[in-house]
Amino acid sequence: MLAALSLSACGAQKPAELELFAMDTYMSFTAYGERAEDALSEAARTINELEQRLSRTREGSEIWTLNKEGRATVSEDTANLLAQALSCAAQTDGAFDITVAPLVELWGITTDAPRVPSQSEIDALLPLVGSEHLTLTRNDSAIAAVLDPGCAVDLGGIAKGCASDRVADIFKEYGVNDAVVSLGGNVYVCGNRPDGAPWRVAIQDPLQNGYAATLTLTDSFVVTSGGYQRFFADPDGTIYQHILDPATGYPVQSDLLSVTVVCDNGARADAYSTALYVMGEAKAISFWKAQQKGSSPFEMVLITADERLVCTPGLADSFIQPEDSSYAYEILTP
Amino acid sequence: MPTRSSRPKYRPTLRDTLIVAAIVALGLIVAALFYAKATRGGSVVVTVSVAGEVVEHTPVSQFDGEHVYTGNGYTLTVSAHDGQICVSHSDCDGQDCVHTGEIRRIGQSIVCLPAQIVIRLESASPGDADVIVG
Amino acid sequence: MKVSAKNIALCGVLSALALGLSVLESFFPLSLLIPLPGVKLGLANIVTLFALYALGSRPALAILLTRCVLGSLFAGNASALLFSLLGGLASMGVMIALRRWDKFSVFGVSLGGAAAHNIGQIAAAVIVLNSTAVLSYLPLLLLVSLFTGTLTGLLVSLLLRAAERLPLR
Repeated sequence: MLAALSLSACGAQKPAELELFAMDTYMSFTAYGERAEDALSEAARTINELEQRLSRTREGSEIWTLNKEGRATVSEDTANLLAQALSCAAQTDGAFDITVAPLVELWGITTDAPRVPSQSEIDALLPLVGSEHLTLTRNDSAIAAVLDPGCAVDLGGIAKGCASDRVADIFKEYGVNDAVVSLGGNVYVCGNRPDGAPWRVAIQDPLQNGYAATLTLTDSFVVTSGGYQRFFADPDGTIYQHILDPATGYPVQSDLLSVTVVCDNGARADAYSTALYVMGEAKAISFWKAQQKGSSPFEMVLITADERLVCTPGLADSFIQPEDSSYAYEILTP
Repeated sequence: MPTRSSRPKYRPTLRDTLIVAAIVALGLIVAALFYAKATRGGSVVVTVSVAGEVVEHTPVSQFDGEHVYTGNGYTLTVSAHDGQICVSHSDCDGQDCVHTGEIRRIGQSIVCLPAQIVIRLESASPGDADVIVG
Repeated sequence: MKVSAKNIALCGVLSALALGLSVLESFFPLSLLIPLPGVKLGLANIVTLFALYALGSRPALAILLTRCVLGSLFAGNASALLFSLLGGLASMGVMIALRRWDKFSVFGVSLGGAAAHNIGQIAAAVIVLNSTAVLSYLPLLLLVSLFTGTLTGLLVSLLLRAAERLPLR
């Protein structure tokens, strides 16, 4: 008799789970499928390999060599990523720029000892920033990346996105149809939750604990950029956040608190989220409109400094706002 | 078993109203707990569970149209239109689910016991996230 | 109550009566008027309550269990057993307690039993469905139990008065 009462679990699968520390951040993976375990092992291997190649600080990596020597022979994958980064820079008018590395080092935000540099120090380095300083040339046998003297690149703003694209490919290859992955906050959701509902991706509230909103998504890459993620305060109390404006060399003083980009490519989501934060609300919206007609459409959620939460129409149906939220929610009119 | 000292009372007494009061109070408390959140704003989410497992968790604005669910051998058709949900058809015996009619506010639900299906309107709670971006 | 052939037969008759009433009330589609799962007239409770007063708690319990088990078998529905049992036992427990307390009349005991019966059924629903959504039906069910409890109490009090003249114990 009790058998009739037992809640029939229709084969609820146990997920394969993995946690690791890479690219200077905590990453977690949850994947469903027969070969999920193998897929995750492959993913871990791939991410480590990516880090070996792309890290700015790891001695001997392709990027390290490029920055040190001014030129380096790069692998096909690295070249593709560099090309993608350059194209994002062109699309966003330089708002996203991997050549901003010398300034990043100057400010030391990623180190333990960030400082406020002087105007002259910044002025000295500003000319070194710009996509024109990096060229990729392809010979028969190899691809060479060349940097102008004194310049340097940092792929931090796109590497995790690129990694998530790789992970997505691995999942497809191994027949993993449902998974959720967070690479230091860069999210990739594949398929649905075990109960069939889309994955619930919460956007952090930049101002306080809790979530500003939740998106129900499937097969999407989601990345958020915001000043609140990393910042330091100088002795007289001014806050400097970690996203630099490549045009001025200073941390961007955006009218946005955070930008969340949802799209079908991880590297682009990563790059765009930084770029849109630098651009500010007005330019971000025009950029979004322009891309809607182009080849790289995406959706976004902007959280503004005056506490409005603006989301694009494509997300209207996936958007869940918390009951007791302090934001004014609005949907962009296309 | 101990013998009773007094005659059993066949007429209603005043003390019986205490029991009535207790039942009414209990009803009010449960009602308050359940419908307190019904008028708050915020996005409404439809949750459908079959035999205890959630098979659907969707914002109600995304839920328009007809949806079919089966549980325990019974098939239900749930119709949603403009934030109003009802069971338009069911092949269960009691048809309680169909007779419930339309629900539209947070806290309301339609239950089909034979099919072990519960359709419920909830407010999306932030604690419900699978992953946090940012 | 003495265990005698007469008394066993008596319990048997009452169990059959309870079963018959259960089947009878399923023909009355109360859920058309009140679309709640589990809303019943509670006719079988008349027998349970009567037995409690006329024969004592142990015979009443025996009759209740017999009715629940056989009723589920006849209905061909195994999960109905959980609902029946939880509702019936909760109701029985409350009625025995209230009667022992001796402060209430048949009506009070009947009301308590009817309410407890509905609470027990909702509890069963929560367990089977693994969802607290059904609790939203409880306030209305409790309201209905006020009426069914009074009705049952009335009928049983009439029966008991008539049965006073019978040598049941």
